[in-house]
Amino acid sequence: MTVLAFFLIVVSLLSFVVAQLVLKRAMEMSRGLSLRNPRIIWLLTVGVVLMAISFFLTLGLLQRFDLSYLYPFQGLSVVIITVMAAVTLKEKATLQLTIGTILIAAGIVLVSLS
Amino acid sequence: MTSGNKEIENPRGFGNPWLQLSLSVLCVFVSELLLKRGATDVAEPDSAFSWTGINGLASPLVWLAILLIIASFVSWLYVLRYVPLTLAYPLSRVVDALVPLGCWIFLDEWISAWRWCGIVLVVVGLGVVAKPVAQMEERL
Repeated sequence: MTVLAFFLIVVSLLSFVVAQLVLKRAMEMSRGLSLRNPRIIWLLTVGVVLMAISFFLTLGLLQRFDLSYLYPFQGLSVVIITVMAAVTLKEKATLQLTIGTILIAAGIVLVSLS
Repeated sequence: MTSGNKEIENPRGFGNPWLQLSLSVLCVFVSELLLKRGATDVAEPDSAFSWTGINGLASPLVWLAILLIIASFVSWLYVLRYVPLTLAYPLSRVVDALVPLGCWIFLDEWISAWRWCGIVLVVVGLGVVAKPVAQMEERL
């Protein structure tokens, strides 16, 4: 794997993580406000743009690597998103959830390294 | 179901967020296989812009995958409305076990013993995360 490929994987991963946090925030707000609220529309737009960036970068990477090798790199987002949701969105992170998340992440890393 | 400190009642039937989460995962699983097949079919490794993946749009399979991704995205937004991200996202990663299995079955990619171990770990982790959800649904 080249430095460029690794860089693109990281950019794709970070875009995806931030998109999920932004979209969750937008949908939380939609429970009390109309979906036409400018702030919700703005957040949804940012989320979709970030998802699109992640999508096209992934598509480019898929042309060079096996899906079963490349895809699990995105799995690292499990831990990052869970931690960031607990920190930035103030969601509850129980011990059981934490253990399960770590197991999932460990499994994904094992798959990606094999 | 709780999200942060707010109590939310889940809709039933097709609107059940757990059903929508399952549909979202299924769409992602199928779309990943289609993307790999479609992107490989039209790959131009020598092209300067091939890293962007734009040339993948020449494949009808990629477009079908995009439709499935849009469907999964709509379902996912619906799920996010009712389920905390800390719970929904780890559960959605069942696709990380399904995709390598799909690659093995449908794309003839080889899966090593370590990769099988990783898939088992993912499934066990999903079981740990999903257990309190199942107990919560039984009580309702």
